Amino acid sequence: MVDSQLLFISILATVIGWLAIYFSPSRFKGKITSGFVFINAILTSIPAIHVLTSDNIEILLSGVLLIGEIPIRIDSLSAWFILIINLTSITGVVYGLGYMKSYSDQKSNLTLHWIQYLLFHSSMLWVCMVQNSIVFLIVWELMSLSSLMLVIFDHQNNKTLKAGLNYLVQMHIGVAVLTVAFIWVYFSTGSLDFSAIAQFFSTYSNIWLFLLFFIGFGIKAGFVPFHSWLPHAHPAAPSHISGVMSGVIVKVGIYGIFRMITFLNSDYLIIGESILALSVLTGLYGIINSAVHRDFKRMLAYCTIENVGIVGIGIGLGLIGLGKGNTIMILLGFGGALLHTLNHSLFKSLLFFSAGSIYQQTHTRDMEKLGGLIHKMPQTAFFFLIGALAIGGLPPFNGFISEFIIYKGMLEGINSSNIYHVILIIISFSGLSIIGGLSILVFTKSFGTIFLGSQRTELHAEPNEVSFSMRLPQYIIIAIMLGIGIFPAFFFSYTSQIIIASFPKFAINNIDTLNPFIHSLSTVGIYAAVFLILIVLVYFIRSLFMNKNLTQKSPTWGCGYVAPRASMQYTGKSYSKTLGKLLGFIVTEKKKYTELESNEVFPEKRTHSAYYTDFFESRIIEKITNQIQYFMNLFQFVQNGSTQMYIIYGLFFIVLIFLGTLFNII
Amino acid sequence: MISFILIVLVSFFFTGIVIRTKSIASGRKGPGIFQPMKDIFRLFKKGAVYSQTTSFIFQIAPSIYFASVIMAILVIPFGQYKGIISFEGDFVFFAYVLAIGKFFSIISALDTGSSFEGMGASREALYSMLAEPAFFLLMGSLALLTGYTSFHEIFMTFHFGSYISYALGVMATFVLVMIAMIENSRMPIDDPKTHLELTMIHEVMILDNSGFDLGLILHATNLKFAMYGALIANLYFGSLPLYYSIPIFLVIQSLFAVSVGLLESFTARYRMSHNAQFIFTLSSVSLLIFFGVLMILGKLI
Repeated sequence: MVDSQLLFISILATVIGWLAIYFSPSRFKGKITSGFVFINAILTSIPAIHVLTSDNIEILLSGVLLIGEIPIRIDSLSAWFILIINLTSITGVVYGLGYMKSYSDQKSNLTLHWIQYLLFHSSMLWVCMVQNSIVFLIVWELMSLSSLMLVIFDHQNNKTLKAGLNYLVQMHIGVAVLTVAFIWVYFSTGSLDFSAIAQFFSTYSNIWLFLLFFIGFGIKAGFVPFHSWLPHAHPAAPSHISGVMSGVIVKVGIYGIFRMITFLNSDYLIIGESILALSVLTGLYGIINSAVHRDFKRMLAYCTIENVGIVGIGIGLGLIGLGKGNTIMILLGFGGALLHTLNHSLFKSLLFFSAGSIYQQTHTRDMEKLGGLIHKMPQTAFFFLIGALAIGGLPPFNGFISEFIIYKGMLEGINSSNIYHVILIIISFSGLSIIGGLSILVFTKSFGTIFLGSQRTELHAEPNEVSFSMRLPQYIIIAIMLGIGIFPAFFFSYTSQIIIASFPKFAINNIDTLNPFIHSLSTVGIYAAVFLILIVLVYFIRSLFMNKNLTQKSPTWGCGYVAPRASMQYTGKSYSKTLGKLLGFIVTEKKKYTELESNEVFPEKRTHSAYYTDFFESRIIEKITNQIQYFMNLFQFVQNGSTQMYIIYGLFFIVLIFLGTLFNII
Repeated sequence: MISFILIVLVSFFFTGIVIRTKSIASGRKGPGIFQPMKDIFRLFKKGAVYSQTTSFIFQIAPSIYFASVIMAILVIPFGQYKGIISFEGDFVFFAYVLAIGKFFSIISALDTGSSFEGMGASREALYSMLAEPAFFLLMGSLALLTGYTSFHEIFMTFHFGSYISYALGVMATFVLVMIAMIENSRMPIDDPKTHLELTMIHEVMILDNSGFDLGLILHATNLKFAMYGALIANLYFGSLPLYYSIPIFLVIQSLFAVSVGLLESFTARYRMSHNAQFIFTLSSVSLLIFFGVLMILGKLI
């Protein structure tokens, strides 16, 4: 009972937090928000940890007006996501404290921002807890709207507003699909409780309802082709928000998909195969796009899509495992997916935070304008480097662990009797390796272009290292990441536990078959540490042998050219140009320039710009929206702006309704 | 342990054999086979020149590159003897540890802010990315064939019996040789002896390295060659006793070195723009191996 009280206190704390933020002077608002986020996080983490170590929590709020009974359930799946949300929200708010300092003159805007942050945090938590369709949709909507308000903090900027609108529309398409799905369940079973979904799945066909849920949650998660909000919303939002959005809001979509999978009753194989295939495409598509963009926050947004793909690969494997009754595949597939969810929330928030630090100091998101920042912001460079290594799945960091688990799950799945599964899985296997290789290309490019070499353009102000409150959360994230990298078996044991609890009807109890894997997983951790020691050892030997007296400094070798300039450096664009050409059918390059006329003897100064377009957005989504817009424009004459006409419309409708009732049509 | 010692041993004269073969093929006498090693030891004693543009990345990168190659060698087994590191799925670890070395060698090239080194870095990143699926498809197929997922167990259970398995062995050798050439930036992909920066890959990346660091990088290349040679040799060992397997190992390594030398003497480097396609075709050879495995297992009919 104590746990349930904690949950209600956390609602109360949120409300008190709003009032406190509203009435406090602007320099305290951020601190008060972080205090309340911290309180909320503790209040909800305690029950979550209880659930992970012992029993589930179930509270029934009965007799609520219009809705009736509201079940609040926390099982280990919810608990896992609650902990991820809390972790990232705390680091986000602490980072945001420093990041928002420069906006302290916008008092009312700040108030709104911090109130929304608090709402955003607790609505995400409650999404993982409530299991009544209507209340779920309300909380889901609160989450979407509050995140929208957070995204459009810089609302004077037209581009930000446009990105916000895009986000708003796409989120509501998602909500519409979800609503349809929930209504379908309600009409079939007569209950709003989530357990009715399981009931639905056990009596009717699974595929179509699951497809609706997958689209609804997949828009939030960013599966291709529902991804197009991410590359717009992430760059527009302030960086602590991008970090939290990419770190957790996308994960809430994953939570939804996971939750629906636990209710499934049949058709595991077809659903699993489709998710696996779609996820490999999502991963490849995301990383290929992120390779070509020069806006580093957009690059990170595409990279989020890639990682959602990796999580999806794990989910697909787990589902195929469910279909075949292969315990090891279930545990490795879903386990890898859950762990990658945690891992991605860590390194993606780290990367967004360090990207935010760069933006704060240089006021540009274009990596081609930067360069040599490692000399001015060494710690931020270090954070970005660690994030880049981790997201590339390189040992000794956490990204390797989850990718290793997924690889291992695939190797388990290869030994299948079904030839289609063998082929599908081996293709995904090499697909994941391409994703890994490409992400190295992407992050060497961005790290190299932003931080290394020498400064490419003159900046408005000299960039400096950011404040301590912005650096602290990044150190914490790195520590956790190393923890997962070196002690993976500890975290994996929790994910296995969650999966066993989530699929009770499979009665997964032969965990002993997994013991060799857990053993090899812990050896991976040890070897990761050994690798670190080996590096230090080689470096130590090097410093022993290095002849210090003969070491000297001189300019970079210019192959005989003696007047090199910063602008002669290799650019990020040219770094990924070969790849862009190779995959030109996916990432199309558009160029804008005016051709030199033959009679132009003294050419004027002209500009040339090249940019890449999103395949799905420019070729499919825009085409459809353009058609809709064309059709809607036919009715433009209705909105002519004169009051008289509007009154006539009103009269017309009254008459219409009157006639309708008169002849019993309505 | 035994594989580690042997690989390190072979690495001392591997490049020497390559250079000697090239000399003989071009009608010269050529240096002794330990000459490259002597050069490296001379480099270890030399001082270094560092570019003013570089940061700490440039200082640590060669050490990390070298450490990553050592770490990868530790995974390689020797016939029936396990490598020092051996666990289920260790070939994934192998590939990713090598990738971390590559990551650092790439960013250290970018650290110089040179107009040439980024070019090599970009090519290195792209080509090794394209070679990745070939390796994973190959290892995945072998894992499917043998039912095991660690280098040691896969090589222990991989036997030559049917015609198809011989074909598999030949194709696997071809893929591994080609991956070794790509990873070490050798002939059909990259010419280490070219004198134009615009057409180099690996050499242009290390233009600014000197002294001890250059020695580390050069020796890491030797080690990598010997490492891939050992992987190829492992395909043919099975569980032979040591007094057979060690001579076989040395013979295969020397054959590998001689063939690298011959390849470099008698072929021209591919056009840079065609490299990507060439490397990607390697994956199709790996796919052939995969279908061969399916045929052996009787799943494909």
